[in-house]
Amino acid sequence: MKRAMSSIVPASFLMCVIFIGGFAPNAQAQPQKLGPFKFAAIQIQQIQSDDVKLPAEFQMSLYENVIEQVEKTKKFQHVYRDGEMSAAGVPDLVTLHCTVKGFKQGSAMARQVTTVAGKTTIEVHMQFTDKDGKSVLETDTKGQVRFFGENLRATYDFGKKVGGVVRANFTATSPVSK
Amino acid sequence: MPKNYRSVLFPFLLLVISQASSALARPPQQSPTSFKAVHVIGLQDAKHNAKGKITISKDTLEFTSGGARNDLPIASIQDALTGADSQRMIGGTVGFLTTFAPYESGRFLSLFRTKIDTLTISYRDSGGGLHGAIFTLPQGQAAVLKGQMVAQGAKTSMSAENEASQQTDGKKMKEKNQ
Repeated sequence: MKRAMSSIVPASFLMCVIFIGGFAPNAQAQPQKLGPFKFAAIQIQQIQSDDVKLPAEFQMSLYENVIEQVEKTKKFQHVYRDGEMSAAGVPDLVTLHCTVKGFKQGSAMARQVTTVAGKTTIEVHMQFTDKDGKSVLETDTKGQVRFFGENLRATYDFGKKVGGVVRANFTATSPVSK
Repeated sequence: MPKNYRSVLFPFLLLVISQASSALARPPQQSPTSFKAVHVIGLQDAKHNAKGKITISKDTLEFTSGGARNDLPIASIQDALTGADSQRMIGGTVGFLTTFAPYESGRFLSLFRTKIDTLTISYRDSGGGLHGAIFTLPQGQAAVLKGQMVAQGAKTSMSAENEASQQTDGKKMKEKNQ
């Protein structure tokens, strides 16, 4: 009886550690802080995925979510889209380039049935450049959906993380009235 | 013998004439002009996951949801791509609450999924800014809608036939990997 108990206690402790470890925020959850940088406006370029085959809906959803989340931060007076002509005349402009480095399409059904399998992950390299094309900030970020939601939710998660990076590294030039 | 021949031929002729006249009277089968759709992301005045209707009129794509209406000039569409996906049969808040149902019945319900089509549109606004809009439609509807859009002047980087063959190739690859 005593021997059985002695083997159960460490096993249950180990399981607890694994379980809690799974939920604990990892190093990537904390956005890297290199700033603060000050720019009046930002232009967000279309998401590039030359090396990785990314479905069109993921590519567009990433782009729209990034714009939405960067607008929410209110760190810039104006958020310009890719190709917006009026951005050319803005002197204090930072440009965000995103390149997809990895994509693993999981299964929503596998996630909902098993909880542990079927994770969807998108790995993206982000680069902020100034008007001269000089790199201001570079970082890698992951968007993922582990438990709840359909696969496209990974793009929302990525957008939120981009918002976190912007909040941590940029300061508003003047109060944005929106 | 000729009398017999006439007695057989006359009803046959009558049948042919009646069939031909009914075929002429029947209007030609038309593809639907409005499509039930869910707006996932991208349109300015529509909420995320808003249910509504897409209508193709002369030169605009119209999405109406509740009281809100979004008009998109078809000439501004740079690319329209379809895809295939699936979603939980019981979704939304009720779907989420089923995860707490007893005896893991929520997981069992997750096995029941409906196949859906996705339609991804990228377009430019009057200022040149790139936008992306994603819709989900019932299975088989996205290709029809895309066909109508292309007929009205929308651009696409991939024909419907190529997309269909690519989707079947993708499915085969997925099955091979599993």
